[in-house]
Amino acid sequence: MYRSAAKRLLLLQSRVCNGHPQISGVRTLTIPNSPRFSSTSASSSQTFSDQSPNFPHQSHAQNPNFSDSASSASSSQSSGFESEDAPHHESRTSKGSPPRAQYQEEQARVLSASLRHVPNLGWTEAAMIAGAREAGVSPSIIGSFPRKEAALVEFFMDECLQLLMDRIDSEKDLRNLIPSERISKLVRIRLEMQAPFISKWPQALSIQAQPQNITTSFKQRAMLVDEIWHAAGDEASDVDWYAKRAALGAIYSTTEVYMLTDKSPDFHDTWTFLDGRVRDAFDLKKTFQEDFHVTPQRVVEFLQAKYLAEAVGAGMGSSLQGFMRRVFQG
Amino acid sequence: MALRMCTKSLRRKLFPVFNSASLLHSHSTSFGFKEVREEEKSQMVGNVFSSVASNYDLMNDVMSAGLHRLWKDRLVSKLNPFPGMRHLDVAGGTGDVAFRILETINSVDHRALQDVLEDNLHEDTQIYVCDINPNMLNVGKKRAQERGLENHQSLVWVEGDAEALSFEDDSMDGYTIAFGIRNVTHIEKVLAEAHRVLKSGGRFLCLELSHVEVPVFKQLYDYYSFSVIPAIGELVAGDRESYQYLVESIRRFPSQDKFASMIADAGFQKVEYENLVGGVVAVHSGWKF
Repeated sequence: MYRSAAKRLLLLQSRVCNGHPQISGVRTLTIPNSPRFSSTSASSSQTFSDQSPNFPHQSHAQNPNFSDSASSASSSQSSGFESEDAPHHESRTSKGSPPRAQYQEEQARVLSASLRHVPNLGWTEAAMIAGAREAGVSPSIIGSFPRKEAALVEFFMDECLQLLMDRIDSEKDLRNLIPSERISKLVRIRLEMQAPFISKWPQALSIQAQPQNITTSFKQRAMLVDEIWHAAGDEASDVDWYAKRAALGAIYSTTEVYMLTDKSPDFHDTWTFLDGRVRDAFDLKKTFQEDFHVTPQRVVEFLQAKYLAEAVGAGMGSSLQGFMRRVFQG
Repeated sequence: MALRMCTKSLRRKLFPVFNSASLLHSHSTSFGFKEVREEEKSQMVGNVFSSVASNYDLMNDVMSAGLHRLWKDRLVSKLNPFPGMRHLDVAGGTGDVAFRILETINSVDHRALQDVLEDNLHEDTQIYVCDINPNMLNVGKKRAQERGLENHQSLVWVEGDAEALSFEDDSMDGYTIAFGIRNVTHIEKVLAEAHRVLKSGGRFLCLELSHVEVPVFKQLYDYYSFSVIPAIGELVAGDRESYQYLVESIRRFPSQDKFASMIADAGFQKVEYENLVGGVVAVHSGWKF
């Protein structure tokens, strides 16, 4: 519940971010309220981009005269980026999400075929062309990804997150581990998915770091880190929330970079490094809690106790006695 | 408010025919602001282009202040050409778009791409230039000669009608039509043909002079279109009528939104458009799946 709220927040933010940088002239025509999706599009404003498949007959039947369809089309314009990206995340984050449009299915098919060519060709248009050929779709489809290679990297990140979530659900022995071990295990599972692409991963990182891609890649990493914390059994929503995610984000990223130059068999050194960093973080957390977080209370308690003892022992006790005596005498 | 009324009155002046009888005669079509019989339109458009063919490029440059080159560049960059592509450029007799596509594919980046792909894809690249008007095709062939491309195996010049293409179903990766769809008799038929010849995943792109809705700019643009362009046409190409037709046909063309919904009705998906220079030109795009 908390997790989904956080995700929604992230999605919302990204939506706001993505809305602006688009050129104002770029518009996507969406035919709203096609009957096929009307049941699923009840309330949320996010689902409109899922209705974009332009099934000719339906839209025709829906909008028999032109003025209607034009006004409704312009009222539901979205930037090209949004319509391409939003449903993608939607389908992963919410269960029982509405079906994707046909072109989105095709895009996903092309991207997953392209991933097979990445180890050879890198995160490039060449890999995407090869992928499209393999999927039996014209490579012209690549033009439908506004940020080309970034779409491939982002697709891979989403796929990995999905796989990770499946692993979390299926692996029972994760629950027997203590939190720190559970976290390093999860990070390891996730990073192992990148192992086949390790020679091309620096390229992916550089694509993710490009200004036009950074909002999406940051969002994806935030979602990943959040997912791991959630799987580690962290349900807290206090101030620590940010600190925890920042810390894990840092651990994940440094390990990811460490992995790039790790030549040890099965990335043995990387996992040692990872365990070390996670342990550091938990130690630090403990230190913080002992020294800073809990101490103010303790100091107060300690001081209270001390003052009381002093008060009783030295002045106040005797004056109280004197006071009582005077009362009884008087 | 005053501005809007001014716009309205101007529109009334500009569209006398549009408001009245156009719906009554279903078998007539527009030739500029004139109503003509369907059979006559292609003939009349043919005459226009035959008469302007020789000065076509010069006039484009003069009328658009050279901007049409940038618009065509934008179109091709949207198309995202790749080695081994089979592309159809309709109404592209002068080869403007085709040459740009070929240059993009041959550019350094794409050569690298091709090396990586290892296939001998360059041989497979085919760009068909289709135009109904042989005079325009001749202009294009001549320009190909000037560029040393006359024997280039990738360029194929085809005389053909956009409403009845001679290509097989599912045979093209891309379809472009630049400044052409305005002149056809049945836009729906052209779109249906485009959809037919494209492969799954293929891209439809249309560059067309469109409608300006930005207030003050609209008035300027209208003045420029109706007063300056025919005058330039008379001065430079010695043909006022043809350029009068040109500006009128732009006004008769469907608005961006309507044209986008027509493209969607033809079966294309992810239909979108981009206005250039405030809507003087619009690039419509769609994919077949």
